[in-house]
Amino acid sequence: MNGMLGKRAISSLVSLLALIVLVFFLSRLTGDPAALYLPVDASEAMRENFREIHGLNDPVIVQFGRYLGDLVQLDFGESLRKARPAIDVVLEAFVWTLWLALITMTLVTVAAIIVGSVAAFHVGRPFDRFASVLSLIGASAPDFWIAIIGIVVFSVSFGWLPTSGTGTIWHWILPISVLFVRPFGLILQVVRGSMITALGSPYVKTARAKGVKNRPVIFVHTLRNAMLPVITVIGDQAAALLNGAVVVETIFGFPGVGKLMIDSILQRDFNVILAAIMVTAVAIFIMNILIDIAYALLDPRIRT
Amino acid sequence: MKRTIFMAGAMLATTALSPAFAQDAGVTIVLGEEPDLVEPCMATRSNIGRIVLGNISETLTELDVRGDEGLKPRLAESWEMVGDDTWRFHLREGVTFSDGSAFDAEDVKHSFERAQSDQITCEISRYYEGIEITPEVVDEHTIDFTTDPAQPILPLLMTLLTIVPSETPIEFTREPVGTGPYVLSDWAPGQSITLERRDDYWGEAPEVASANYVFRADPSVRAAMIATGEADIAPSISAIDATTEMDMSYPNSETTYLRIDQSMAPLDDVRVREALNIAIDREAFVGTILAEGTELATALNVPTTLGWNPDTKARPYDPERAAALLEEAKADGVPVDTEILLVGRTGNFPGATETFEAIQSMLSDVGFNIRLQMVEVAEHEQYYSKPYVDTQPVLVGAQHDNSRGDPVFSMYFKYHSDGRQSGISDAHADELIEKATAATGEEREALWSELFGYLHDEVIADVLLFHMVGHARVGDSVDFTPTIATNSQLQLAEIGLN
Repeated sequence: MNGMLGKRAISSLVSLLALIVLVFFLSRLTGDPAALYLPVDASEAMRENFREIHGLNDPVIVQFGRYLGDLVQLDFGESLRKARPAIDVVLEAFVWTLWLALITMTLVTVAAIIVGSVAAFHVGRPFDRFASVLSLIGASAPDFWIAIIGIVVFSVSFGWLPTSGTGTIWHWILPISVLFVRPFGLILQVVRGSMITALGSPYVKTARAKGVKNRPVIFVHTLRNAMLPVITVIGDQAAALLNGAVVVETIFGFPGVGKLMIDSILQRDFNVILAAIMVTAVAIFIMNILIDIAYALLDPRIRT
Repeated sequence: MKRTIFMAGAMLATTALSPAFAQDAGVTIVLGEEPDLVEPCMATRSNIGRIVLGNISETLTELDVRGDEGLKPRLAESWEMVGDDTWRFHLREGVTFSDGSAFDAEDVKHSFERAQSDQITCEISRYYEGIEITPEVVDEHTIDFTTDPAQPILPLLMTLLTIVPSETPIEFTREPVGTGPYVLSDWAPGQSITLERRDDYWGEAPEVASANYVFRADPSVRAAMIATGEADIAPSISAIDATTEMDMSYPNSETTYLRIDQSMAPLDDVRVREALNIAIDREAFVGTILAEGTELATALNVPTTLGWNPDTKARPYDPERAAALLEEAKADGVPVDTEILLVGRTGNFPGATETFEAIQSMLSDVGFNIRLQMVEVAEHEQYYSKPYVDTQPVLVGAQHDNSRGDPVFSMYFKYHSDGRQSGISDAHADELIEKATAATGEEREALWSELFGYLHDEVIADVLLFHMVGHARVGDSVDFTPTIATNSQLQLAEIGLN
């Protein structure tokens, strides 16, 4: 198992490096930050001065060398726009995103497994039909629409929840609910499908023949075997959330990393783009390792 | 049981909201974007100026945007010319900064030099470009500015110079100190900025005790926040939401236009440019794609600008004549069939894409060969500023904002041959711009007026479209009317409480 994790770590590190190179050079191909930072009527002298101050005049390869040199010392550079260390800006935002992702995925996982399992156990019955329709609607409804409807109904009409922002626990309910919908729909479908297959397998028939009751059949015999594909999908969905929920963050004014990344790209704030990509990449890398461990715990065949 | 829990939750939710109402004489203002900095020398950038100007930082002079007083004293009590090229400012006495230090002429000198420093890129400095300005402290409350060449509008330029204490380091600060009635008390990046009223402000104490700024990118959320009472003022909401009694429209000083690069055929032909102008049914946009109250533009600057020419009339929509003009030009060998690229910016203003699509269709109807391309801001900038794309003729759809009262902030860079965004190269226009820039009083006004008329009627420099309106939503608990300057500054002292 250690060997597997080691291999994983090395390949992730190689991917991270490739990502840095790619993003560094590609982002610099997309335009001059001086043109965006300074007002349209700023003179060439002012632009030149701006590029000089921020080292944008050097050849890109020199800039890259300098960036890597700083990076080794864990210096991610300054944000062009905010005149603060880029990593501070990113970590501040990432904490919000991490909590949002963590809470949402926990709720989604618990809910999807329970509803999916029950649906699988009652295939074709009203509960199953209802769960399937619900999950399809959830998986296909656009989140900006759910978000706006959520605000109109729960904040403006009923006055139960704040429209947006942060501050109290109530501020989290709408964003989490909106983020909940799609992964719930998807994971529910996978749980259901996987459970149906597992419930039809010979070992379940054997267990039933031995007289094991329904509940242990679902939760002890079937679920564990049905979980492998489910975990893969959970990992995918969690990775998407860690990248930032741009739409939800934008609508609810939630200070997460998704909106930060989009804004930095639009403003060509290179250091923030790179820092944000590295932080999320590392987070996803750690999450992948956790998923590998989960696989290994569930399925002894993978441990070797 | 379940119902009880649900109701309890709902009640708790309402309680959690109540601090927004309970704040003592405080207001919450919801803006579309958070400033990256709260730096006084960047206050000409609108998202920073809205929070800083007149609240945290003050300037020597200020422009009266609510009445017609013109230039008013603020930190300077009076000013006059001493000699041909020197302006003298007499500073207000008894003024202190929020850090307790006294305000004097050295602070003004330092503020100017800091803004000009090449170690940082203070946005304010661009307004002083090309002018050699030397500040000289005469005594504690008097300062001279000697300029080369002479600057008739230096007192107007001083509306932009925010004053910081002489101890302020050159690098950008995150703890701005100013002489204004408010002080920055809290800044949670990504969430909110809070200003609190000072007790030792030199002027009349404003009614609002504190202001909490929050940021929501989505205009309908901003509108909803006023409706639910979570915020009191949303200076910019979309026209679609502006349907309640709390909403008002106001000219926001933005002018939308198509910049014509006249160096490329067929756009170098004046008949073609006239055809572009009369082929667009401007009135059809108002009250449909664009908000009611939008005005047809005959100049890049809004009518309240010095020298705006009332005799210049918008060309009436006349597609038949436009087609005829094109035919005429074609007969003379002008390549009118050449594909013209129309560049628009996504999200430039509400309804931008629809507006440019409609313009493309109207131009195509009279015989132009137009290809529309909607781009994001960085790509737009590559078309908007020199050096221009020279592979094909281009029309750039853009907006220009000058609420500062004088065309000098627009004319050079939009119409002078050397201007970074000028589409024309016209010796007479250059001469008028140079003369007007150096002139004062009535002569200045007359020269600008002549220039406005010349550009619109004879050169047909661009396709002027609309003076835009913005929409604000103001809650019942406050009394606030937006002005043409609300885009760039929002003085809390102008907010009353009901």
